[in-house]
Amino acid sequence: MRVLVDLNRCQGYAQCCFLAPESFKLVGEEALMYDSGPDDALKEKIERAAASCPVQAIMVEYMNGHADEMVKSGTSEAEARHGA
Amino acid sequence: MAGKSLFQQVNDYAHRANPYPLYAEMRKTPVLGDEDGNYAVSSYRLITELLHDPRLSSDIRARPPDDPKQQAVAQSSISPAFIRTDPPEHDRLRRMLTRQFGPPHTVGMIDNMRGDLEKYVNGLLDRMQDRKQIDIVDDYAYPFPVDVICKLLGIPPEDEKRFHGWAEDIAFSLDPAIGEEGRKLIAKGLVARNELGQYMRALIDVHRKQPGNDMLSRLITDSSADGRLTEEELVSSSVTLLIAGHETTVNLITNGTLTLLRNPDVFERLRHEPDLIIPLVEETLRFEPPVQFNSQRTALADITIDGVTIPKGAPVYLMIAAGNRDPVRFNEPDRFIPDREDNQHLGFGSGIHYCFGAPLARVEVQIALNALARRLINPRLVVDPPPYRQSAVLRGPRHLLVDVDGIKP
Repeated sequence: MRVLVDLNRCQGYAQCCFLAPESFKLVGEEALMYDSGPDDALKEKIERAAASCPVQAIMVEYMNGHADEMVKSGTSEAEARHGA
Repeated sequence: MAGKSLFQQVNDYAHRANPYPLYAEMRKTPVLGDEDGNYAVSSYRLITELLHDPRLSSDIRARPPDDPKQQAVAQSSISPAFIRTDPPEHDRLRRMLTRQFGPPHTVGMIDNMRGDLEKYVNGLLDRMQDRKQIDIVDDYAYPFPVDVICKLLGIPPEDEKRFHGWAEDIAFSLDPAIGEEGRKLIAKGLVARNELGQYMRALIDVHRKQPGNDMLSRLITDSSADGRLTEEELVSSSVTLLIAGHETTVNLITNGTLTLLRNPDVFERLRHEPDLIIPLVEETLRFEPPVQFNSQRTALADITIDGVTIPKGAPVYLMIAAGNRDPVRFNEPDRFIPDREDNQHLGFGSGIHYCFGAPLARVEVQIALNALARRLINPRLVVDPPPYRQSAVLRGPRHLLVDVDGIKP
């Protein structure tokens, strides 16, 4: 699986660091460091982290052998609406 | 005298079971002033904007001297807690508290609690196995977060009998002070807060003499670049963490259960698809938020927003539950869609006062609702709507009776 955080959106609420501490780490007060290719065993934790992001900055993609399937994206629709 | 304003109607107990039509009416005038001088803000966009506006204070002391809440703060023997302060004081206090709760200083504590929390809710259900009817509030949604926050802070869970009444009086006093009744609630809240403060002071003394590994002990002994928490800060912080740590979570678990019972197809889906709980809890926070509106904010200056000027000193109510159902922001806002995409709800607020306990609440509610889905056999709502607690701000059922054919092991 692949994880992508839009660091322009991220505001350091750190909810992801609470819920998936193996993958998301806070450096200092608000800088986020994360693992973009976490182990599949962490799938559930990563999903909890992505769902909890107050600004929906975390995207998760799954590679299921055939094609990369984009499963979750929190940003596109919101941006379209704000831009409208 | 004119009829009741929309804001007064929201606060009227008669509308507690379903305030949502009133919120929809309110959104037609997204900044709505009434004759009491209260301003209710109800669109998603404006609520979000104001949650990030430093001209909106969380400090009740910014209100005029005749405001009942301002008077209560002035008479309180405890200083205002961090959620009732502004920067820079707020940031310093929150930083010091966060050190013992989450990253970067405390890593993995909440995530590591999952196993114990699962054991605890399953223990509660085990003890009900011969029952055909349960009250989700008294038997489940209340005892669980109380136990969790007590153990986390280092409060003896058996003391619940002592602080239960105080916690409830304080929770109810968060409502706006409307009329004589409102002033009575504020007065009761003040007494309760002073008494709970006294209880906490004694407890802090015990922990200071014999520190354990609980959060209260760690807050007492910790020191950082921000210094140490003073006795006063420890008392007001721990009172707030204890109350916020359960009064809100009870409602979220109960509102979630009620919503599942009203949507049996979703309940059934959750049984087979436990991961659905992750977006489902977010949708519950949007659809039936346990904090319906922020009731403690005050304009520090004249704020002109969407052509309306909110005068300096005015109480401003950010109607979270209305913003969460704003059709400009959410498709089909009145539908409960458990796997809703792009669910940037305001259930935990936004900005510097974003719910301190959100990570813990999420873990608790995910575990609590999944255990119900897995173990209750044919659960049925007995009374709909259920009887509600008094509070308009911390809105949730007082009881939620559910008939079951049994409880799976």
